[in-house]
Amino acid sequence: MAIRPGGELATRPLHFIWITDRSGSMSTDGKIQALNNAIREALPHMRAVADDNPNAEVLVRALRFSSGAEWHVAAPTPVADFKWVDLTAHGVTDLGYALNMVAEQLRIPPMTDRALPPVLVLISDGQPTDDFNAGLQALMAEPWGRKAVRIAIAIGEDADTEVLQQFIGHPELKPLQANNPEALVRHIKWVSTAVLKSASSPASQAGDVPAGLNVPIPATPVETDREKVDDVW
Amino acid sequence: MTAWRTLQASVRGAAHRRSGLPNQDAVRIVRAPGGQALILALADGHGSARCFRSQVGAKLAVASARRLARRLHEPASLTQIKRWAEEQLPVELVRSWRERVEQSLARYPITEAELAALDLAGRRALDANPWLAYGTTLLTVAIAPTFVFFLQLGDGDILTVSDEGQVDRPLPPDERLIGNETTSLCSHQAWKEARVTFQTLAGVPPALILAATDGYANSFRDEGGFRQVARDLWAMIRDEGLDPVQSQLKGWLSEASEFGSGDDITVALACRRDIDRAIDAAAIRDPGAAEGAESE
Repeated sequence: MAIRPGGELATRPLHFIWITDRSGSMSTDGKIQALNNAIREALPHMRAVADDNPNAEVLVRALRFSSGAEWHVAAPTPVADFKWVDLTAHGVTDLGYALNMVAEQLRIPPMTDRALPPVLVLISDGQPTDDFNAGLQALMAEPWGRKAVRIAIAIGEDADTEVLQQFIGHPELKPLQANNPEALVRHIKWVSTAVLKSASSPASQAGDVPAGLNVPIPATPVETDREKVDDVW
Repeated sequence: MTAWRTLQASVRGAAHRRSGLPNQDAVRIVRAPGGQALILALADGHGSARCFRSQVGAKLAVASARRLARRLHEPASLTQIKRWAEEQLPVELVRSWRERVEQSLARYPITEAELAALDLAGRRALDANPWLAYGTTLLTVAIAPTFVFFLQLGDGDILTVSDEGQVDRPLPPDERLIGNETTSLCSHQAWKEARVTFQTLAGVPPALILAATDGYANSFRDEGGFRQVARDLWAMIRDEGLDPVQSQLKGWLSEASEFGSGDDITVALACRRDIDRAIDAAAIRDPGAAEGAESE
């Protein structure tokens, strides 16, 4: 008897995209360095989650936005090989531009229709300085933009949580507020582990589930008492 | 009249084995009374937290296909059958499935433990839609002497192979179904989500028809790799017969799940009896052996 029927087998790609604000305000009170540290610290946990599910190929990249936007890590990189290079802060907050760039990458092609729902993590401390709505529209015009798991982290009290809520697109899921480095670490770790795990083995969902909740979002970890008194942003 | 041989296999997904979940697919092959029509039915229970009885829902879905077998036994013109398949059948299948779900719910009411596993939104969704707990897809192929039709509600794949080895999809891909979202028998107006293609068999019917739950196609790097499954199976059956394929199919599906999607995989296949050269060879050696080789 011949060998197994069919072509090359492959696990399903899961695209995980950090969308990071590096506007000038991120340079105050150590925000940008806290963000760099938090993502770097989360990577080993992220790899461990990916290792637990060999049927998902976790591919990570990062986009940075300030005056305009550009890919910080452009190639979808296997999580085992992904390295974080520190961001530096300057410029304004062109979030709309960034979302347009993400939308381009979520088209089919280059995306495949057999992928798992992508995870988009938006981290920002400010208010958009360009046409955010146009960027969001472009993102939501793409099927993978609509099906993506969209998580937002607000750094400090000046972050525009209404804009972040619009990005998330579902009232049951709120932006995560980080007013100190510990909270930021906690949120980044949660999205890199619990959310990634949920997205990497999602059960089928009937099409009439609420938009944006096609992947069950796990409960967020509870804020510690120490974090509450350490707010600096 | 064209004679058909069939086979079926279903394997628990690699990811389900790791997490302790059961196989939530179901499959059934039914011959209509009189043996002239053949029905392949597959279902893929959603397996989400809200669809906590989808393993049962999938079994009830393929059981509903028996209604189809009875209907195909009744005399009717091709025009009548086509209209019924396109307009009435989806409604009848959904109704039959819902009746079975309601019987199941009456016999085994939802327990406190099942409810406790849901969040508030999940409980509200279940209140609004009691069929949600049993959510599943349904793929159905009906093969009769003068026609074949394909019905799909939800994700999954149906391929046909011609005598020349050309692979086709009788139903075009549903662009809405990417990621893990699917249309479902549990949707409020599920019959509107069913897609049906009816083909009159004026000439030679397809050599092989393959239906599979989505875990199979998702295990290949691309569409071409999945289509190759149907072509390879057609060539294997043609060259070596159906029985060796039957004996290895589960192993192939398990391998695909392990190195591919991780999902449950279920396949139902019908091939024209005359492409199975092994039967001809057996008939030459022992005239009684070929008839005994029929799988249904």
